Amino acid sequence: MAELSTAGATFDAEALPHLDALYRVALRLTGDPTQSEDLVQDTMLKAYRSWRQYRPGTNAKGWLLTILRNTFINSYRRRKLEPVATDLDAIEPYAIDRAAESADPEGTFFSRIVDQKVLEAVDALPPEFREVLVLSDMEDLRYAEIAEALQVPVGTVKSRLFRARRLLQAALYAHAVEMGYLKPRQEG
Amino acid sequence: MADAIDCQEASARLYDYLKRELTPELAEAVRRHLEECSHCFDRATFERNFLDLLQARARREVCPGELRERILKILGAESAPD
Repeated sequence: MAELSTAGATFDAEALPHLDALYRVALRLTGDPTQSEDLVQDTMLKAYRSWRQYRPGTNAKGWLLTILRNTFINSYRRRKLEPVATDLDAIEPYAIDRAAESADPEGTFFSRIVDQKVLEAVDALPPEFREVLVLSDMEDLRYAEIAEALQVPVGTVKSRLFRARRLLQAALYAHAVEMGYLKPRQEG
Repeated sequence: MADAIDCQEASARLYDYLKRELTPELAEAVRRHLEECSHCFDRATFERNFLDLLQARARREVCPGELRERILKILGAESAPD
């Protein structure tokens, strides 16, 4: 690899530490390990070739994940013909969420759910919700970074996140009840 | 000192607070409200446990070694861009 430096920020030092994060997000977006490997490889090659566009001092992880997300949208999602949810507002996950909060107000049941079930529940979210939740709550990008990556207003990021979290909580709550981690409180 | 806020506002700003997206003044106002309101405190604990779960469980998958090596090899064959 040629020694690439943008104002002292080398590609090796800035980009390579984020391979794990890129691979994890790729898994969540594609749902497929082989596609994820291709997506990460494409992303790293594109990032390397456009390294001069990276602004030193900004979050390299956010920059790389933006490339990964755009590559996914442009090349991978089309292949899978994944339908885009048309009416995201129609999803109203409130009822179960309130039940979860009354049965276990501090949400201690969350810690009993195994990794695989958490990831399955994330993967089951509609794509528009899944991507913001993964970028914000799993990979810890700022709202502004996500808004830039998705080319949407920060308000849109926040409203999608709100719904994504509620949907995911509802799914995890249903799983916890099914597994006997908590008992639903009888209303009335 | 930060102005006091009610349950409705604390609830509306809870996630921004937990994600450290608030200005220091607003964060302080939410923190004070949570100290004084047990209902909102429980709610915050619930949401914090949820966020902790996602953070903790999200980080266990790592890039396969073979992929890492393949990428290094491909980048090694690239010449530096303009």
